[in-house]
Amino acid sequence: MMYNPKNDYTFSIYEKEGLGGTPMDQSWLTVFPDNLRVLLAKLPPSLYAGLEEVRIREGRPLEVNAGGRYYFVTPEGGMTREPGAAFIPGKQDGNRLLDLITNHSLYTMEEELRKGFITIAGGHRIGLAGRTVLSGGKVEHLRDISGFNIRIAREIRGIADPMMPHLLDFKQHSVFHTLILSPPQHGKTTLIRDLARQISSGTWGHSEAKWPGLKVAVIDERSEIAGSKRGVPSFDVGPRTDVMDGCPKAEGIMMMIRSMSPDVLIVDEVGRPEDAEALAEALHAGVRVIATAHGSSIEDLASRPALSKLFEASFFQMYAVVRRSERGMAFRLWDGKRRRVQDPEWKGREDYA
Amino acid sequence: MLKILGAVLVITAATLSGWIQARQYANRPTQIRKLILALRRLQTEIMYGFTPLPDALQRIGEQSGDPIKSIFTGASTDMNPPFNRTAQDSLQAAIESNWKYTAMKAAEKDVLNQLSFTLGTSDRKDQLGHIATAVRQLESEEAAAREEQNRYEKMFKSLGLLCGAFIVILFY
Repeated sequence: MMYNPKNDYTFSIYEKEGLGGTPMDQSWLTVFPDNLRVLLAKLPPSLYAGLEEVRIREGRPLEVNAGGRYYFVTPEGGMTREPGAAFIPGKQDGNRLLDLITNHSLYTMEEELRKGFITIAGGHRIGLAGRTVLSGGKVEHLRDISGFNIRIAREIRGIADPMMPHLLDFKQHSVFHTLILSPPQHGKTTLIRDLARQISSGTWGHSEAKWPGLKVAVIDERSEIAGSKRGVPSFDVGPRTDVMDGCPKAEGIMMMIRSMSPDVLIVDEVGRPEDAEALAEALHAGVRVIATAHGSSIEDLASRPALSKLFEASFFQMYAVVRRSERGMAFRLWDGKRRRVQDPEWKGREDYA
Repeated sequence: MLKILGAVLVITAATLSGWIQARQYANRPTQIRKLILALRRLQTEIMYGFTPLPDALQRIGEQSGDPIKSIFTGASTDMNPPFNRTAQDSLQAAIESNWKYTAMKAAEKDVLNQLSFTLGTSDRKDQLGHIATAVRQLESEEAAAREEQNRYEKMFKSLGLLCGAFIVILFY
């Protein structure tokens, strides 16, 4: 590894925002009914900036998650850990919220309800819980929806800066096939969004990497990476990036390879057998692939039936395990032969910042 | 001379009011029919177009003439930003503010208000069922309105003129 990093491997998202990063996007607030919106707007600004999730459960306290901690919201807009003192959303609130989330048209969201989440403008994902209606043993519909989890998507430009130089393939003037692993809620999507932007615009973050930006194809099954609204990305995913929005990954990968001649393919949350097959196809088609999957270590991979095939055949040239602590984001790298990519400075940072 | 002018005025006024009354009877079935057609189009938008409700209402509003147009486009405006009101609230508010411009009666208003409770809050099959019910109810109202039209339209037309003539004779 030629790159000798001087910067810290931990990278605080809050610090970045303080430095004048992306201003807080408030588009997610518009889906709340008036009373809840007023309540959330009263939250302390420090908490508000780091807000990750808002959870609404009918008949139970209103919860917000920020910086890995959770709080209940009181009827006055304060914070508490005491469930009894918290604001309790009722059936009316749930119905109004659902009406606004679905743009008054639940009937257009049948596929989304089957999957259990809806993505709204701005790339924010709203998870739903309710009672399922089965048909032929499969989930056909979700009704009596009473639990909502609004995950606030954030664009953090430069979050991939520390990782980017490690992924460069100097021989091919491209990037390595990379699999990024992390548990849910640890910033995978934010990371690959920034990787897409940097690969597409050719900002490699390395003095010896002088080749121009590459054609990037993003398969955005959940509309989270690009946050597309009517087909146009609302996040900056780079000037040479094509986005296939709302498309099943396996089909999208094949469609993109056939039609858009990408240099680099980016997919989020692979995990099903057909995803792995399509990925194998892409890896053999000369397209570089950056994919993410849920997992907390590369040992986990071998035990995932769909992914173990890819893992065993050593398709990927680089594995990254990403984890976020309260201070920021940290990652560890392994190469294709599962050897740790060690840097002199890496030692002493074993425990993820 | 003045007397004749007065008599003409009285007769014209009475005839006009009779005509207006008769027109109400004539307009009601036509407007109900237009409403039914609009709901049928909404059914298509939901079933085959997967069109979101605000867009669908806007579109069917633009296709139907006034006064039905303003009910649907008004509801659509309320649903969209910056108002962001719920489908139920928007539709009911639009019905309430525009109903006086229509020739339709309380029965039809009830049907629409009933529909507003379910519009946009369930899956397609359910939506189609609710709209179909509303259409059936409106059709029966339409039949009743046609019957009333047959019975009263001509009567009010002639009644106006006759009333005018009667008053003139009485005072002449």
